Amino acid sequence: MSAIARVSSSLSANPLYWQGVMDVNPLTASSQTRLAKVLDCLNSHPAAGCILAVYRRKVVGIATRQDLMSALAQNPDWASMRLAEIVTRPVITVEHSAIAPIAPIIDLLEQHQISYLPVVDAKGHLLGLIDQARLLRVLQNQFTHGLSSEQPGRAQIFADITLKIRQSLQLKEILQTTVDEIQRLLNADRVLIYQVLPDSTGKAVSEAVVAPYPSLLEISFPEEVFPEEYQMLYAEGRIRAIADVHDPNANISECLVEFIDQWDIKSKLIVPIVRPINPSINSVDNGAEDPTAVRKHLWGLLIAHQCRHPRQWSDFELDLMQQLAGQISLALSQGQLMEYLEERVDLRTAELTQANDALQQEIRERKQVEKALRRSEAQLRLITNNLPVLIAYIDRHQRYQFNNQRYEQWLGRSPVDITGQSIQQVMGTAHYQSIRPYIEAVLAGEQVTYESELTFQDGRDRSVSVTYIPHLETAKDSFASQADHESGSKNGRQKSTQVKGFFALTTDISDRKAIERMKDEFIAVVSHELRTPLTSIHTSLKLLATGLLGNLREEGQEMLTVADENTDRLVRLVNNVLDLQRIEAGEVTIDAYACDTAELIEEAVETIQTMAQQHHIKIRVHAESLSIWADPDYIVRTLTNLLGNAIKFSAAGSVVHLSVETTDPALVNSALAKQSTDRETALFCVRDHGQGIPHEKLDSIFERFQQVDSSDSRKKGGTGLGLTICRKIVEQHGGEIWAQSQLGQGSCFFFTVPLSPLLVARSPTQPS
Amino acid sequence: MHSPKRILIVDDEESIQKVVKLSLKIEASWEGITASSGKEGIRQAESCQPDAILLDVMMPNMDGIATFAALEKNPKTRAIPVILLTAKTQASEKRLFQEIGVAGVITKPFEPLSLASKISQLLNWI
Repeated sequence: MSAIARVSSSLSANPLYWQGVMDVNPLTASSQTRLAKVLDCLNSHPAAGCILAVYRRKVVGIATRQDLMSALAQNPDWASMRLAEIVTRPVITVEHSAIAPIAPIIDLLEQHQISYLPVVDAKGHLLGLIDQARLLRVLQNQFTHGLSSEQPGRAQIFADITLKIRQSLQLKEILQTTVDEIQRLLNADRVLIYQVLPDSTGKAVSEAVVAPYPSLLEISFPEEVFPEEYQMLYAEGRIRAIADVHDPNANISECLVEFIDQWDIKSKLIVPIVRPINPSINSVDNGAEDPTAVRKHLWGLLIAHQCRHPRQWSDFELDLMQQLAGQISLALSQGQLMEYLEERVDLRTAELTQANDALQQEIRERKQVEKALRRSEAQLRLITNNLPVLIAYIDRHQRYQFNNQRYEQWLGRSPVDITGQSIQQVMGTAHYQSIRPYIEAVLAGEQVTYESELTFQDGRDRSVSVTYIPHLETAKDSFASQADHESGSKNGRQKSTQVKGFFALTTDISDRKAIERMKDEFIAVVSHELRTPLTSIHTSLKLLATGLLGNLREEGQEMLTVADENTDRLVRLVNNVLDLQRIEAGEVTIDAYACDTAELIEEAVETIQTMAQQHHIKIRVHAESLSIWADPDYIVRTLTNLLGNAIKFSAAGSVVHLSVETTDPALVNSALAKQSTDRETALFCVRDHGQGIPHEKLDSIFERFQQVDSSDSRKKGGTGLGLTICRKIVEQHGGEIWAQSQLGQGSCFFFTVPLSPLLVARSPTQPS
Repeated sequence: MHSPKRILIVDDEESIQKVVKLSLKIEASWEGITASSGKEGIRQAESCQPDAILLDVMMPNMDGIATFAALEKNPKTRAIPVILLTAKTQASEKRLFQEIGVAGVITKPFEPLSLASKISQLLNWI
């Protein structure tokens, strides 16, 4: 028995062949073959339904399996029979050139009521066998899978596959569904998706393969089987449909043929999977690719293999593969977009989580702050309610918004009753009229303090000190002040701030007032009761010292001098203590008016002249005639104090200089320069050539009882209060006082007094 | 040199009366007559017609200001210049005294040997 050796290439072009309709290896045997051998042959090929008797490659007879069985049953000596005895003759054949359409073949089979139709070439040589059953199976298979060439059917197939592919968003699943569906549809032996890796090698990432053919997953594809120039061709859209990989016209390199022979690949169909490059997603990916280099790149290949036999790929199949490759490309883009979106979602989720954490933290902190605020407010309320002060907040409409409990205790009015009421309602019209100017002042933005009388609930009139503190709001927070600004308000304060209301603090100062009255009386008593006997003693001693009332012995005269000097000192001390007390208590009223500096200096010199003569000191005067705004008595007092000190601390025969001039900034020490230059002042200077003052004492000597040497007060008869009084007087005039000195060379005492406002304004007329 | 003068000293403090009287005598050989109250001072002024009155401010019952007012109203004493003698030292108080029309103010304690000179200066006797 001999099988047909090889199918010619011309026959392989017949589409029926490729669709598996014709068996190219039918069972054949010589006509003289014994039936026993024929039986063995059929038994070993159970799928075969008949055996052809051939002679010189021509079919001379055909015996079906049934024919053989009948012969065996009917002829006991069948073992000696030969094939020629049971075959049917003549055999109906068909030329391969006539079998392209399937319909005439079916007609022929039906017409002759035969099941097998040998296919022969023009010379009658056997090419293959058409098996009716096989033909029907193929037809049925094609029908079942809708492998029809009609367009609606194609579209439906494509739509079905696309739907299946798109049922998943997972790329791996999509790829697997694609290969599974293509394999099922094309009845291919293997369908795979090959991904091109950046190093030009590649790997199969999805595969559908039928047994017994091996899987190509995990197989490394050497670069030679898919060189870079091929990749470029595929990137440009190349499609390869190779019916027979061994066909020289297939133009496959030898190394590739060797590679694919390993896997029994007879035929293959390759379409590229290309992807447009989306620069935005690319840049998100890794930024490795240059977005301007190429607009498409080859991601991979969609490949179908036929291993059982060569296969002619139809246009429909090519078209389907291309369209599905497009779907894969789309899925890849979508997958990439999904990855990108998932990354963004992850990123955004992380950000939101972080923001949420921060928010939670902020809420916790705010709760803590609120708790602290509530605690603080409770403490504040406790304090305000227990302070011996009326505390209220009044809005700009003059209505109470807050009152502490003290209102109830003092005025018999519950804070709850007061809240929302006007000042006039709470205080009464008469009282309101008396304090109205202060309310208007605070609502204009000024802090106000005044003293008043208030009738408490027990009917007693009490002296109270009231302070109004404006509650100011900056312009940027205030709509109303913006309106002020736009209306061109000329007042700077109104333009930048708005008064929302004010705080009113009322303190009962009745006790203080009583003490003040007692102190006033005490001072008056001390002034009179202390000075009157002192005057008597002082005067008596002076008169005794004249010697006109009789001469004393030398020791008596000495004691008289001691008594006289110490009485002088006591008089000065009493005067100074009382003066300082009055100044510090703010009881001294500086009765300032325009005075001439030259006249003040003349008066001071005249006052101190006797003392200067006693100490043999000359006073040299350099006085400009300036108009200052001062109380002349106090300025003379200051000058005589300073001159007295200069005389006391100068050596006999020396000179004390007294001058006054307009302020020379060069003479003003740096700490006071700014203030001195802020406005024009007269600068008084008393300079001596005495022992001088140590540098570290220059400031402290203006403090009470802070003399350079504590024994000075005894030696020089000072009180230790003179410079303190001088400083108080000068400060009350709005001036400054300071000293400069060099030890052993003398001291300079400076003080400034503002010039008369009329002079500063450079009025053409002198002040009266 | 001081021309002879008669000065009425009105002060409730006897020691002051004495030292003022002696001071005026020693310094200027002036005559000093004394009174211990406002009322007595007015009587003395009417009867003695002094050249000037040194009048203490703080006195019980009728103080210096009230006494001065009475002297001003009295035709017999109206022309006699009055100088207040006071322990009050505040400038505003001194100015207030001057504003009511006194001829001058001398504060205690005073320099005894220049008291007559001060009075002469205030009353333009020099």
